[in-house]
Amino acid sequence: MKNYGRIILYIVLILIAIVNVFPFYWMINVSLQPLEAVYADPPEFIAKHPTLDNYKEIFTKYNFLRFTMNSLFISLTAAIGQLFTCSLAGFAFARMKFPGKELLFGLIIATIMVPIEVVIIPEFLLMAKLGWINTYLPMIVPSFLIGTTGVFLMRSFYENVPKELEEAAVVDGANPFAIYWRIFLPVSKASLSALFIISFLINWNAFLRPLIYLNSKHLYTLTLGLISFVGEFSALWNFLLAGAVVSVVPIFTVYLIMQKQFIEGITSTGVKG
Amino acid sequence: MKYKLYVPYLFILLAMMGLFIFRLGPLFFAGIMSFTDWSMFGSAGFVGLENYIDFLGDETFWKIVGHTLLFSLIFVPSIAFGSLILAVLLNQGVKGTTAFRAMYFAPVITSTVAVGIVWRWIFGADVGMLNFLLRTIGFESPPSWLSDRSLSLLVVAFVFAWKRLGYYMIIYLAGLQDIPKTLYEAARIDGAGHFAIFRKITVPLITPTMFFITIMALVDSFKNFDIIYTMTRGGPGRASTTLAYYIYQHAFELFEMGAASSLSMLLLLLVGGIAVLNFYYKSHWVETQG
Repeated sequence: MKNYGRIILYIVLILIAIVNVFPFYWMINVSLQPLEAVYADPPEFIAKHPTLDNYKEIFTKYNFLRFTMNSLFISLTAAIGQLFTCSLAGFAFARMKFPGKELLFGLIIATIMVPIEVVIIPEFLLMAKLGWINTYLPMIVPSFLIGTTGVFLMRSFYENVPKELEEAAVVDGANPFAIYWRIFLPVSKASLSALFIISFLINWNAFLRPLIYLNSKHLYTLTLGLISFVGEFSALWNFLLAGAVVSVVPIFTVYLIMQKQFIEGITSTGVKG
Repeated sequence: MKYKLYVPYLFILLAMMGLFIFRLGPLFFAGIMSFTDWSMFGSAGFVGLENYIDFLGDETFWKIVGHTLLFSLIFVPSIAFGSLILAVLLNQGVKGTTAFRAMYFAPVITSTVAVGIVWRWIFGADVGMLNFLLRTIGFESPPSWLSDRSLSLLVVAFVFAWKRLGYYMIIYLAGLQDIPKTLYEAARIDGAGHFAIFRKITVPLITPTMFFITIMALVDSFKNFDIIYTMTRGGPGRASTTLAYYIYQHAFELFEMGAASSLSMLLLLLVGGIAVLNFYYKSHWVETQG
C-alpha cells in the first residue's frame, strides 16, 4: 500500500516536471532546426539534423551579442547599486536611532506593493526632462536607488548582528562608515548575495522600462531585442526561440550555481514582506 | 549605539533619494496629473474630475476592469492552491527533491517575454503544439486560443500562473518546514492517514502563509503588462486588455498622460484597497483558523 503511494507521488511529480520543462525543451529543440522544421506536421520532437545556424544568424546579423552585453551591463550596475543603497540604509534602520526613522521606514514598506505601471508616467516625464531618454540611465538609476524589499531584507539581518561586534569597533575608535564597511558588510555576505541575485534577475528580465525608454536598436536589452523579432519577423520561430535560449542560459547558469541564495532571497523577502 | 545626529541620514541618503524621486514623487505627481488633460503635445489644463467621470461613464472602461478582475480570478486561486499542492508534494522527502524543485522553479527566473513567446507558439492556432496534439487525438477543429475573443484572456492568465507557481511554491515550502515534525509523528502514531494529516494539521497551520500568498498573488495579478504585451497586445480587439495594459496604451500609444494618470490612480486604489483589507482582516481570519 505504502509503495503504491510513493509510485503515484513520483508519477505526479514527473508529470508536473514535464509541464514545467517542456516549453524549455521546445525552445532548444526549435532553436537547433531550420524554419521548415517548425512548420513540419507532425512536429519534429527531436531535431534530426541539429544545427547552430540560427545562433550564428542572430549573433552576426541581428545584434544579439550587443543586446546580451547591454542587458549584462544594466543588470550588473543596477544590482551593485542595490547592494550599497540597501545595506547602507538597512544598517541605519537596524542599528541607529534618529528622528523620523519609523515614518521613513514605514513609507518604504508602504510603497512595496505599488505597481510600476502607477508611477511610470511621471517617471517618464522626469526622464524626458533630464534628457535621459534613449540612454541606459532610466534602467539603471531607479533600480540603483529603489530598494524597498532590499532595505527590509538587510535591516532584518543587521538587527540580529550581536552588539559586541559593534561595540568593540567603537572602542577601537572606528567611525560609523568603517563599522559598516569593515564589520557589518562582511558578515552579511549571504544576504547580500541573495539581494544581488534578486535584483540582477529583475533587471535582466525587465521589459516595460526598456520598451518605453530605448529607441536605438544598439541600446536594446535582450527582452526588447526578442520582442522586436516578433514584430519584424513574426513567423521566424527558429530565430525567436534561439533568442529566447540566449536570454535564459545566463540566468539559469547563475541559478544552478547559487540555488541556495536564490531560495533564501525569496523566502526572506517573501515570507515576512 | 550612539552616532552623531547627521550620520544616520547620510546612510539612508541613497534609499531616500529612490523613495522620494522615484516612488513618492511620481505617485504624488500622477495624482496631480490625473486632474489635467496633459498630453505629450500641447499644453496641459486643469480639468477637475473630468478624466475620472469620463472613464467611469465609459463602457469600455468597465469591460477592462472586468478583464482585470477575471484575470485575477483565474490567477489567484490557481496560485493559492496550485503552488500549495506543489509544495506539499515536494515536502514528502522524495529522492531528487532538489532536481524537481529546480525544474518547478525554472519558469520563475525566465523573463516573461521569453515565457510569452514560447507559449504563444504552443497555443498557436495552426502550427501550435497543443492544437497538433488535439488534432492527433481526434479534435477536427480545435480552438484558435489566442485569436479567440473568449479564450485569449484565459490563456494569458493561465500562462502567467504557470510562470509564477514556482515562486509561491518556495514560500509555501518555507511555511511547511516551520510546522513541527513532532505533530506529524504524533498523528501517524495515532493512525491518521495522509489525507487526514493534510486536512487536520497541514491546512490549519499553513493558513497564515496561504492568506499572505493570496494577498501577494492578488497584487501580482495586476502586474500583467509584460505577459499581455508579449502574448496578445491586449487583443483580439480589446478582449485581453487589462488595466495595466490600458494605462500603457493611453500613455505611450495615445500620449494622453492626464487620462492615463487617472487610470493609474484607479489601479492604485485597487491595490491600496487590498492592502488595507489585508491589514484589517489578517489577524481575524488567521487567528480563528489557527
